[in-house]
Amino acid sequence: MNDERNDRISCFEDELRRWGAQAPRTPASVARVRVLVRLDQSRRPWPWLRLAAAAALLVVVAIAVWQGAPRPAGESSPHVALNAPPLDPNVVVWVVDSRTTVYFVLSPDGSARGGVS
Amino acid sequence: VDTSTGDLVGAAREGDREAFGVLVERAWNRLVRLARSVIGELEAEDAVQEALVVAWGRLASLADPEHFDAWVSRIVFRRCLRVNRRRLARVPLEALPEPRHPSDPEVGLAAWQLLERLAPRQRAVLHLTVVEGMTDAEIASLLAITPASVRAHRRRARESVARMLRGGRP
Repeated sequence: MNDERNDRISCFEDELRRWGAQAPRTPASVARVRVLVRLDQSRRPWPWLRLAAAAALLVVVAIAVWQGAPRPAGESSPHVALNAPPLDPNVVVWVVDSRTTVYFVLSPDGSARGGVS
Repeated sequence: VDTSTGDLVGAAREGDREAFGVLVERAWNRLVRLARSVIGELEAEDAVQEALVVAWGRLASLADPEHFDAWVSRIVFRRCLRVNRRRLARVPLEALPEPRHPSDPEVGLAAWQLLERLAPRQRAVLHLTVVEGMTDAEIASLLAITPASVRAHRRRARESVARMLRGGRP
């Protein structure tokens, strides 16, 4: 019984030895070149990192364009609409954040008067 | 002139990619043979290439440059374990084809089909013992286990193979 078992295992190991000793499909000289190419690629930022950066840039540009776009008459920034008094045409409003609004008062006649409140 | 492994590792650590290329060329066949026995023909070469890229990035952590071969084999083996885990998540063991008898005319297929049903460490121990002819101490060092564990893995692997050849489960 043990002899039969050992014969089977021995037969398997002979087979494994033949199979395991086969040369790889890619020759070592070709593999060397491929690995060196991979080293180059691994230095570059990962594609998903570049994609994420591009997406973030796109969002920033979109926000900037939206903020800078001319608004239809009567429409203004939500903060201004809620908090600001009716504006004179010579007043420029800059909403820095929800608690800070800067009013630039332009001088209508080109004089040096005017200011920031 | 045959540059020593230690000198090549030293140069590679300084950023000499050609020196690393020589190391890759020398180790390639052995590493692919190991990977093939652990994860099979299909993914072995890719796993070894990935492991070699990892090794390049970690050369500074290699304590003894003369032990490059065992060190890089360990990285390859770990990479193979990861590939194996990913694959097990996709294909359960029961879905593997039934193993054939080693007298199958298709050389190697039968051996792999039996090997595939063993645990990855058992595959590696059998490969390193049978194909590479390594000692228990060398295998233990490579797989980061004790020589006693090497013997235990080999014994269990042979028992499983014997059971499968009788038509049973591993």
